[in-house]
Amino acid sequence: MLIAGAAIFFYAPTDYLQGPVQRIFYLHVSSAIAAFGCFAVVLVGGVIYLRNESPAADRFARSGALVGVVFTTVTLVMGMLWAKTVWGAFWVWDARLTSTLVLWIIYAGYLLVRRLADPGRQAARFAAVVGIFGFIDVPVVHFSVTWWTTQHPGPVIINDALPPQMLATFLFTMACTVVLAAVMIAIRYRIETLVDEREQVFEPAKVLVAREPEPVQ
Amino acid sequence: MTYLILAYAFGVAALGGYLFWSLRRLRELERIQGGRS
Repeated sequence: MLIAGAAIFFYAPTDYLQGPVQRIFYLHVSSAIAAFGCFAVVLVGGVIYLRNESPAADRFARSGALVGVVFTTVTLVMGMLWAKTVWGAFWVWDARLTSTLVLWIIYAGYLLVRRLADPGRQAARFAAVVGIFGFIDVPVVHFSVTWWTTQHPGPVIINDALPPQMLATFLFTMACTVVLAAVMIAIRYRIETLVDEREQVFEPAKVLVAREPEPVQ
Repeated sequence: MTYLILAYAFGVAALGGYLFWSLRRLRELERIQGGRS
């Protein structure tokens, strides 16, 4: 990440129109892509959990949701600071910004459900459903700039609109950010495993057997 | 320029802070687990 930071500030050229503030783009977009990857982990974990009630899949989903919310927060805040300079306002209610905020709310809600509900199979099942349906918003966020007229800039990577030095810096930053997200999920997964073991969340339910009352003498 | 610095300061604080907090929590849980076994 340090090398990526050096590339962003010293290797990538300054944008002619936007000036230095355009450099926000590198971590802003990379964080958004990392967040999408994290929410894909929630989707896959949720589907696997609903199929075979695997505690490991549920832990992966929980980990992906938390890390995804962190990356979405970074995306939103960095985007707002870029917008203030370029648009003159921190926030406009266009399709890209609104759908990203909705994405953040969905997965923050997912985490809230996990925190407030009693840990166990029922909470895991309900959260899996929220995680799966929540992922519908990911393609909405991605395609929002092509489906609707937005103030947010359209895709620049697939339209080949970046000069080679900017593209190289972006791809390197994106690779580093995705690896960082994977490391964060792995650490979180280990934390969730230790917490589950401590609280014995997925222990089989104890069957209470009624005993014969002892005769009164 | 101020917003560029603010943006990266926030990004580094959020990601670095989360990573640091996670590693601390993991170490704490592993210490508890190690003490119990």
